[in-house]
Order: sequence, then structure tokens, then C-alpha cells
Amino acid sequence: MLFALSYLGDSLCVWWLSGFVPWFLLPDFPFLAIVFSGLFVPGIAGFLCALPPALFREITTSAPSWTMFLGSMALYFASREIGRRFLLRSEPSLLAAVVSLLAAESFSVVLLLSLSGARPFSFLWGAQEAVRIAWTSLIAVPLFLDLSVRWRRVKE
Amino acid sequence: MRSFFRNWWRLFVAVAFLVAAIQVFVRPSTALERTEPVRAAGVVLFRPFYSAADFLRGGLSGVWNRYVALVGVSRENERLRREVTELRERLHETRDAVLENRRLKELLSYSETVERRTLGARVVGHDISPWFRAIFLGTGSEAGIETGMSVVTPYGAVGRIHKVHPGLSEVLLVTDGRFAADVMVERSRVRAIAEGIGGNFCRLKYVSPTHDVAVGDRIVFSGFDGSMPKGILLGTVVSVDRPKESLFQKVKVQCVVNFQDVEEVLVILSRPSVPFRAVKD
Repeated sequence: MLFALSYLGDSLCVWWLSGFVPWFLLPDFPFLAIVFSGLFVPGIAGFLCALPPALFREITTSAPSWTMFLGSMALYFASREIGRRFLLRSEPSLLAAVVSLLAAESFSVVLLLSLSGARPFSFLWGAQEAVRIAWTSLIAVPLFLDLSVRWRRVKE
Repeated sequence: MRSFFRNWWRLFVAVAFLVAAIQVFVRPSTALERTEPVRAAGVVLFRPFYSAADFLRGGLSGVWNRYVALVGVSRENERLRREVTELRERLHETRDAVLENRRLKELLSYSETVERRTLGARVVGHDISPWFRAIFLGTGSEAGIETGMSVVTPYGAVGRIHKVHPGLSEVLLVTDGRFAADVMVERSRVRAIAEGIGGNFCRLKYVSPTHDVAVGDRIVFSGFDGSMPKGILLGTVVSVDRPKESLFQKVKVQCVVNFQDVEEVLVILSRPSVPFRAVKD
């Protein structure tokens, strides 16, 4: 299910909707799949679930080779740690976890690009990025709650 | 100590992955080129989807253009549009040639910087990440596309090929923060470095306050750095700021191509040669 979510979500956004829907309204489905597998799927199963979305992000993002894949794996382990340390059953805590992970990822890429001399960021970009983070997080909450209930049922 | 590591090993692994990602970002390793088949396999996984999306998109617009919106008018329009495009390209070339003649550059008898062997390619997707500006073409290495080749439309520059896979190429747009190329002001021949700043804009770096740059000036690629063919239009200057305390002017350029709307592009299959630079045998 996570594989389908990340594959179809990423495909729809990159190959279909990207021509006419602005980037900040397109949620990062592989990101959501990676974070979900980190937060809710323990053990090797979670790691295996996170691998395909990480590869999808690597292919559909124009970063230097393998950067997005390695970054996504770091994201998986960070969300795994959050999932173990905090009880993420309520909407606000889930929202806070996803927002902080999205913001941390965005901040680190911006910092890297700025340090390398590129400055493709403006105030408008910041506002758009805030919309993207808010939008993706708001999608994440009901999606994660629904998927976690299903995952629990599968385990039972 | 052991229990501490046992408790926090995931965090350490996350940090290790992050450090590795930063290292690869800052200094891409040649060893990673060996893992390209894995990426290529991943691209193959996406091929049915983007082929289907492209087919549906083409089919839907084809049905609309040819049957719904009057058959004759649509064809006539298409023919006229093609003619306008060709004429526009010829006009660009002529304008540049006239300026060259004025400056008596024909005395230097150096060969054309661009060998215009091009390949038409369809845009099949856009990079939707907030940090990078790129588009994907539905043609890849099998058509002879290589990394570094220039991508243009008859209106102006689009970008450079960044990565190539079988059946898919990635184009780094001129508005991406990592794009930089040698350009010049068409009117005054002032040279500068154009760098992407996102949106649909670039900025010109290292323009001295004494240099003649004005709003509305057309910016073309100089071809000196061999990254883009000479004379290709980048855009027009939309603002010039001359801060008193700065060594350089702040020049903002609006790109002539709207990258959100571009559907077909031309890939220049031969890489531009660098003038005045001797070829080593």
C-alpha cells in the first residue's frame, strides 16, 4: 500500500499535475510514505517500505546523484527515532512531527544551497514553501491515522 | 556506554546518512557512477506512467485541436504558428549577425560556434521539489542525448541536460540556482555571468557600475564558456539597481521562455565549441 501510495502519488504529481498545478500545492507523497514507515512500521519491514519511495524521490528530484536517496534514508531513521520516543496517536503530535521533519529537510537543503553560493530563494519562495509544508502536513494527519489503523489490523 | 548506543543507534545512523548526503551534495563522488544502473532501473519503473500521461495529454489536446475546434482553422493555425516560429528564430540569428558585422568581427574568421544539429523532445514532467528547477524529457540516451547538451526553444534558452537515462533526460533550467553561464547584453556587448534565482528570473553577476545595462535590454549567451551556443536569447532585463556601497550592479533578467508552459524543446546534440581555445590532440 505504501509502495502504491508513493508510486502513484509521485507519478501523478511529477508526470501529470506538475504542468498546471503550482509546485507548492503538490504534496510530496514519497516523503509521506517514508515518514509513515519510520513512525509506524517497526523493524526491517519499515526499512524495506522506505526504500522504494526513497528511490522515487531520487529519480524525480534534480539534486546531485544519490543525495535525495541518502537524505531520505536519514529522514527514515530520524522519523523512526521520533516514532519510538513519542506516542503519536493524537492529531496535534502527528502534525508537529511531520511539520518539523518537513521544515528540517527544507532548511538543510536551503542551507546547503546557500553555502554553495546559489541563491534561488526569495520571500515569495518562503511563503510558497510554508504553504507546501502546511498542505503536506494537513494531508499527512488523516492519511497516517487511517494507515496506522489498517496496519494495526494487519498485525492483529 | 553500550546501552547508550543501543538506545540511540537510529539517531546515529540518521546523522551518518545526513553527513553522507551532504558529502555527496558538496563533492559528488565518481564511485557513485557505478550505481547508475540502479537509477536507470528506477526510471524504467516510471516509464509506463509518463508514457501514458504523455499519450493521454497529446491525445486529448489532439482531439480538441483537430475535431472540436474546427478542423481547417486548427491546421491553418498550426502552419502559421510554425512559420512564425521559424521566422522568429531567423530574426534572432539575423539580428545577432548584423551586430557582429557592425563590430567587424567577420575579420576574425572563426567558425560558427553552434553546429545546429538538434533533436525535438517532449516535456513529460517537472521537478516538483521546492529547491530545484528542472524538467524531464521523454527522450534519453538512446537518441544520443548526453549530459551538458543545451536545450532551447525557438524563443530562447531552456537549460542544460543534467542527467540522462534510457528514455528520460533531466534538464536543469536556467532559473535553477546551480545554473550559471557566460552571457552578454545584446546592445552594449557587456559581459556577465547569468545565474538562476528561481521563479522565472536570473540575475547578472559582476556587472560593474560603469557598464551600460538598461531595463529592456536583451541578454544573449556569449558562447565563450562553451556551456550554451552563442546568440541564444536568455531574456530581457527587468530591473537594474546601482547600490552606492556595492562594487557591482544588481541586474534582474526575466527569462523569455515560460518554463511552466513549455511542451516541446530542442536539444542541441553537438556541444558548443569554445572559441579561441585550441583543441588538444
